Amino acid sequence: MQRVALDPDRLRRELLPIVGERRLSMRASDLASYGRDMWPRLLIGIAAGRLPADLPHVVVWPETEREVAAVVRAARALGAPIVPYGGGSGVCGGTVPVLGGVTIDLKRMAEIRSVDRDSLLCDVEAGANGERFERELNRRGTTLGHFPSSIYCSTVGGWLACRAAGQMSTKYGKIEDRVAGLTAVTGRGDIIHTDGPARALRGPDWTQLLVGSEGTLAVITSARLRVSPIPELRILRGFEIESVAHGVEAIRRVMHRGLRPAVVRLYDEVDTFINHVPLFGRGRGGGAAGDDKGEERDPLERAPEPAAGGGALPEIPPKGDRGGASEGLFGRALSLLSPGAEPARRLAGRLRSGAINAVLSRPRLVNGLAGPLAEKVSRRGCRLIIGVEGARIRTEVEARLVMGELERAGATDLGEEPGRHWLEHRYDVSYKMSPVFRSGLFVDTMEVAATWERLMDLYRAVRQAISEHAVVMAHFSHAYPEGCSIYFTFFAPVVGAEKTYDAIWQAGMAAASRVGGTISHHHGVGLLKGPAMLGEHREAMAILRALKASFDPDGIMNPGKLGLPAALARRA
Amino acid sequence: MNAPVPVAIEDLRAALEAVVGQSHVSRRSLPPRKVPSQARNQITGDDAVRLRRGEPPAIGAAAWLVQPGSATEVAEIVALAGRAGAAVIPVGSGARAAGRDAPAGGRPRLYVDSRRMSHVLHLDETSLVVHVQAGLTALALERILVPRGLTLGDFPPSTLGSTIGGLLAVRTPGKSSARHGTVEDAVLGLSAVLADGRTIHTRVAPRRASGPDLARALLGSEGRLGFITAAVLRIHRRPEARFLAAFALPSLEDALAAVRLALREEAAPAALRVFEGADARAHLGESVCDEEQAVLLVATAGATDLAACDRDLVASAATAMGGAVLDDAVAEKWWRRRTGQERDPQAPPPALQVTAPAGREATVARAVAAAAERLGARARVHVSRFEADGAVEFFTFVEPDGEVAAGERSAAIRAAAEQAAEQAGAILLGSSPPGLEPYERQLERLLDPHGVFDPELTREPA
Amino acid sequence: MSDVFSAAAVARQLDDCTYCPKLCRFACPVAEASGHEPYTTQAKMDRLNQLRRGTVAWSAETTEPLYACTGCRQCTTQCLHGNEPGLVLLAGRAAATARGAGHPALMGYPERFRNREQRLADLAREHVAPERFEDSAPVGFWPGCDAIDKGLDDVDAALDLFDRLGAGDVRMVSTGQTCGGYPLLAAGLLDMFRWHASRVATALRPYGTVVVNCSACVYTLRVQYRAEGVPLSSEILSLAEFLARLEFTATDQPRRSVYYHDPCYLARYSGVIDQPREVLSRVVDVVELSGSRTDTECCGGAGLLPKTMPEVADSMARRRLREVAGRGGGTVVTSCATCAFMLRRNAPSGVTVLDLPAAVGAALGDTGAAGRRSGPG
Repeated sequence: MQRVALDPDRLRRELLPIVGERRLSMRASDLASYGRDMWPRLLIGIAAGRLPADLPHVVVWPETEREVAAVVRAARALGAPIVPYGGGSGVCGGTVPVLGGVTIDLKRMAEIRSVDRDSLLCDVEAGANGERFERELNRRGTTLGHFPSSIYCSTVGGWLACRAAGQMSTKYGKIEDRVAGLTAVTGRGDIIHTDGPARALRGPDWTQLLVGSEGTLAVITSARLRVSPIPELRILRGFEIESVAHGVEAIRRVMHRGLRPAVVRLYDEVDTFINHVPLFGRGRGGGAAGDDKGEERDPLERAPEPAAGGGALPEIPPKGDRGGASEGLFGRALSLLSPGAEPARRLAGRLRSGAINAVLSRPRLVNGLAGPLAEKVSRRGCRLIIGVEGARIRTEVEARLVMGELERAGATDLGEEPGRHWLEHRYDVSYKMSPVFRSGLFVDTMEVAATWERLMDLYRAVRQAISEHAVVMAHFSHAYPEGCSIYFTFFAPVVGAEKTYDAIWQAGMAAASRVGGTISHHHGVGLLKGPAMLGEHREAMAILRALKASFDPDGIMNPGKLGLPAALARRA
Repeated sequence: MNAPVPVAIEDLRAALEAVVGQSHVSRRSLPPRKVPSQARNQITGDDAVRLRRGEPPAIGAAAWLVQPGSATEVAEIVALAGRAGAAVIPVGSGARAAGRDAPAGGRPRLYVDSRRMSHVLHLDETSLVVHVQAGLTALALERILVPRGLTLGDFPPSTLGSTIGGLLAVRTPGKSSARHGTVEDAVLGLSAVLADGRTIHTRVAPRRASGPDLARALLGSEGRLGFITAAVLRIHRRPEARFLAAFALPSLEDALAAVRLALREEAAPAALRVFEGADARAHLGESVCDEEQAVLLVATAGATDLAACDRDLVASAATAMGGAVLDDAVAEKWWRRRTGQERDPQAPPPALQVTAPAGREATVARAVAAAAERLGARARVHVSRFEADGAVEFFTFVEPDGEVAAGERSAAIRAAAEQAAEQAGAILLGSSPPGLEPYERQLERLLDPHGVFDPELTREPA
Repeated sequence: MSDVFSAAAVARQLDDCTYCPKLCRFACPVAEASGHEPYTTQAKMDRLNQLRRGTVAWSAETTEPLYACTGCRQCTTQCLHGNEPGLVLLAGRAAATARGAGHPALMGYPERFRNREQRLADLAREHVAPERFEDSAPVGFWPGCDAIDKGLDDVDAALDLFDRLGAGDVRMVSTGQTCGGYPLLAAGLLDMFRWHASRVATALRPYGTVVVNCSACVYTLRVQYRAEGVPLSSEILSLAEFLARLEFTATDQPRRSVYYHDPCYLARYSGVIDQPREVLSRVVDVVELSGSRTDTECCGGAGLLPKTMPEVADSMARRRLREVAGRGGGTVVTSCATCAFMLRRNAPSGVTVLDLPAAVGAALGDTGAAGRRSGPG
């Protein structure tokens, strides 16, 4: 896309008095870091040697909401777009400055201002890192109960901007269920507060209108969030159930009895096969990425020792050296997904990479085989991880009821181990990104949701759409009384991937909308799902456009996102 | 596209009749919708006054009452209004209809009564979701759900007389249940007609991340941004078991502390109420406690073991704060009134409702009591709807002779009480979030440039 | 442990970082203190990858992120790949220096280092009594350059403590060098490091055991010297390990409570975690900071960060002590001259920072009657 024309000197002159020399940069070297997030389409480009091309004109690091407001007002006067940046962990391209402009990096506003253990409310700035925030809450005997797999690398502001969910959302809710108020700087440059018990104030629920707006209406600078006491009791178990349909029904019954487990994860047959079934007798899978060691990590009390005479410092590899490229594609892929697959991997490694590519370029074939193969080899159905936690007395009662309900629905109790294993490794999946790309594959995820009535249709329709182009597996999680979310993971060769990628998303989103599901449960829209917004909201887009015009009359706030125009508003 | 043809006022009636049929357009006064007796208790203030007098809202010059039978008809009416320069005023159960006469020479008004749009469009028992037209009352919906073992939730009687559309368009924190929140919290999707006659449907899903929750723009907007025609709501199975309990506690503060303690243990009662002493005695009988004491009532419901556990958690908390168990009859009496099986003989509804932030419930109550005392009256209070954010408090003002304050006296005490409550940190019912008026005005201007939903034309036309 | 030092292993590490969603970012104190995206571990490694691949040209501007690191290894504690960005980035600095693309704040560092060594050697001679120096001894004391430069009182305290605890035969290492050479690696001056190491090795040969109070020196002398083909014949002990070997007991004085800050280079490079606590526990009660042991948080003093990014370095020290201030203040003890200096310099009011010998000495009291050695002297 074409950057807006901005005079760099004027830009600098306007912004310098606000943030000072040290908290402003126009150096190419700094701007390079702000051109992307974790959108796999961008990573595909990087794998092909193309660095992100859409960069901001300038990045600023404000420290107060007044500075943010001043920056926005200056940007309005200059006709410069504003792009907020938190952890850059989004997977939809939400932080890409498609028209250039001013990237506001929120991370110097990362204070946890207060935590009140009596009212169970906390006040935190938007740039606070998720893991740091949760640890600080823990130190004060509380938890947010919000555990996205990106918790190490995302910010509170990012969560709010995208309507994020954590793995325990069935009990604790998504982020929008935990917010008691926001402070934000609108596209007009006003500092607004949407705090106070929303129920008592008349008019639109501004908190819920800003949460999920992905920077297109305002920059969120801080939030009041509801915290919970640290759970006294946590129970995690694994179950096995005959099929996806049986699993879905079991979960529905649990939810309809008024029970609220914290964790509900049902893996479909392929996912169960790849991640949870020991192949050739070893390993439980789902472990760390590309980890050949196979043993527990050594305690980190000693740095590695170089060989005597080998040099005090590591050796920088020569230009063309790519790590691990010599290993077979499919072998690597398999080993990533299941460390216990050593024999299969060695076997696969011997096959020529051309043959592997040929296989993977027929995903329908693979997908078609995978299901029945999975069932045949494992002769078990689907893995279900369930967790219940909270205040001791009530949790004991609730856990008993949950497990009882599952067993009545035909699930077999596998004990605590699968649950414990899931808990220990629940963030490991992100470590697989690099090894996957290094193997010449790309991986992406599609998370949709629907009411129970439509859920199996959603599963089949989206799975069908994706499996035309990529190997796909799925799990069901984030259950609600009225429905559930489905999380598809898919991978395909990276060569020529951009076309495949776009085709997958176009088909997947269309399928979701067609059967009455939502195009996104918690990852957000960004650039990726912009084209699908009209199908999702149809005429209700009029409300989004009206909100946009109200909050951002000049159209400078994160242009091109949420399916809104990638152009500044024409000034009167 | 052709520009819509303007409609002259003389032709407006004919045009309306063409849409809804002759029998559904009238110049008569709005017929009073029968407000169920159990709902009367909880309607406050002016609405209560009007209702008691049996007065329907008045209709003035250049105004018609229109009763569409479908959302499509509503859309046509709104489009018509736009072309005629008329204003559309939604009428639900009538308790809050804008009853003012149109100013002389003012714009024609179309009072659009949703009573004919009262069907259940789809009952999805698999998902426990119901799709209803906005004119359906909560009571009528319950009557359809209950025989199937389902329910909208444990909402108080004041909720029942309202239409779904009314409950969603007007925010009333008091019309809520401890466990299920307000009816707004049950919304999974909305259909509405915008000022230009377009119909919108927000995406139905348990949860989404596809941008802002657009339905929230309409909920609580009192019909200014769109005319809600249908809603998709979450419903529940009727609980396996119910338990009731009542406790007398040494003071209001102790009772509130007991509630907080129980909620911290994650008790999830279906309904919860704390009466300060005088209010308890007025509602439940003089023998229930002394004036300085307080009464805590709880109803738990759900899977049997869990409901019993919740009851026990509240009981432990009450005991820990010095509470004594009251006879079963007390809780049962409260519950019969709460579910509308019996009328509360305490006829005048509370004069004032505020939301007190968490931790300040007692402070707010005491501040209001002090303000009333300064005017020679007494404030009785009960508290319900406990959330992380705060609790809703209901005040009744009583004269020294024991009669409930009325008329100007009531208004004066109420004004003083509101001021005191605000100073103590409470939020008054119906207040707007400060600083956001310009954004709301702009939203209205954009979505309704000709003021179709703004009969008073309170803001400058586009 | 996988070998991180080979080119192939480093290639894989650099590649691992390329597509990672920056999972270790919350653990990088430089990234957290600065809030700058280019200073996240992933961005730093990615930059090095681009430089060595040639997609980005080497220049002072492009290599700047390589210097936004203290080598604290907290990223490694999080990384499931086992990557070692701290060490890899040092190698990157060496490559940058070799191409004349080093950090502007480190211009002329070789000269400055030499001058500093000279100045500090002289300073040590002036300050410490001549009889303390010995050209050879069973046990030599090597305070480290930062101790001599900024913590001479602590050097005195250490020598006093040796006397009191019956280790009065410890002698100051007599040499023209005061620095183990770590700053040269941090400046990317690999050749100069080798040259300096051989001189230090010569100077240390006559000492059977060398007691070191600089946490970086412990790793440098033990591991990096040998890797450069300059093995030391002496046993290298951190001060905490040495004190742990001495026998002394608590006094009758009332016990204070102190916090203990683990120097990164002791906790995550050399495994010296229990010994300082053991030593302190004999005389005071030790309270753990959140972020202790292998989760300790860097004071900002390493990696030449105070030279290249002084505000960030000070900010890191302040952040480290925030918790102590939040708990109402108190005393923080550490076991490294650099940590002591950085924390002391940035301590909020109500927070006192002591190095280990001074803390033990103070706890043993002024009487001198207590804490006498019970073992052989």
